[in-house]
Amino acid sequence: MQIFNDYRSHADFLTVYVREAHPTDEWQMKSNVKDDVCYAQPRNLSDRLAIANDFTKRFKYPVPFGVDDMNNAANDAYSAWPERLYIIDENGKIAYRGGMGPFHYHPAEVRAWLAARYGEVKHPEMKTEEKKS
Amino acid sequence: MKDIFMWIGVGLGTLLVMAFVVLSVMAGGPKDALYMVRYALPHMHRGNLKPGDSAPDAKLFALNGDDTFHIRERTGGRPLVLVFGSFT
Repeated sequence: MQIFNDYRSHADFLTVYVREAHPTDEWQMKSNVKDDVCYAQPRNLSDRLAIANDFTKRFKYPVPFGVDDMNNAANDAYSAWPERLYIIDENGKIAYRGGMGPFHYHPAEVRAWLAARYGEVKHPEMKTEEKKS
Repeated sequence: MKDIFMWIGVGLGTLLVMAFVVLSVMAGGPKDALYMVRYALPHMHRGNLKPGDSAPDAKLFALNGDDTFHIRERTGGRPLVLVFGSFT
C-alpha cells in the first residue's frame, strides 16, 4: 500500500484477486479465524466477487482491482497463487518477476525497482517491516 | 542382500521423516504440513515467465462483476505493478 502511495504518479498498479489461499474448506489458518477472515473456496464468480468486495471495503483498499475468472486464467498465466508480484514495463515485457509467495514474496524488491528508476522515497518514521510493504 | 534392502528402507524412511519435519516447520505444524501437501503444493508453480518475456494477457472482472477488462489494457505508457493475492 505504501509503495502504491509513493509511486502511483510514476507507475500503474493493479491488484489481481485469485483463488483463496486459506479457505475454511481447505487449509484454514488460525490467524484467519483470529482476524475473522473465514471464507470457503469460491465455487462461482459471484462468491469470488463477494469476497473481493469484502476485502476492498474492509481495508478501504485504494489500489485498482481486478478479479480472476473461475478458470483462473490470470493465475495460470502468471503462476500467481498464492501471491506474487510482477512489473510489466512500458513495452509490455516482464521487467520484474517476484518469487512464489509467501516465502519469496518481497515487496521490497518492487520498491527497489521503482526506486532505481524514479528515485527513493524515504520514510524515516517507518519501522523495518513497514518498509518492506 | 537382505541387509542392503533393510538399510535402503531405513534410509528412505529417515528421508521421509526429515522431509515431513521440514514441511511441518515451514507450515507451522504437522497438521498444517499435511494440509500444505494436500491443498497448497498442487497449486504452487514456479512458472516459466522471466524478465524480457512478453507479459501474458488475461481477462479480469471489475468488482461490480458486470464489467471486464484485460491486463493488456493497463500496460503501455508506464510500468504496471501487478499484485496477485487473495483475502485469506
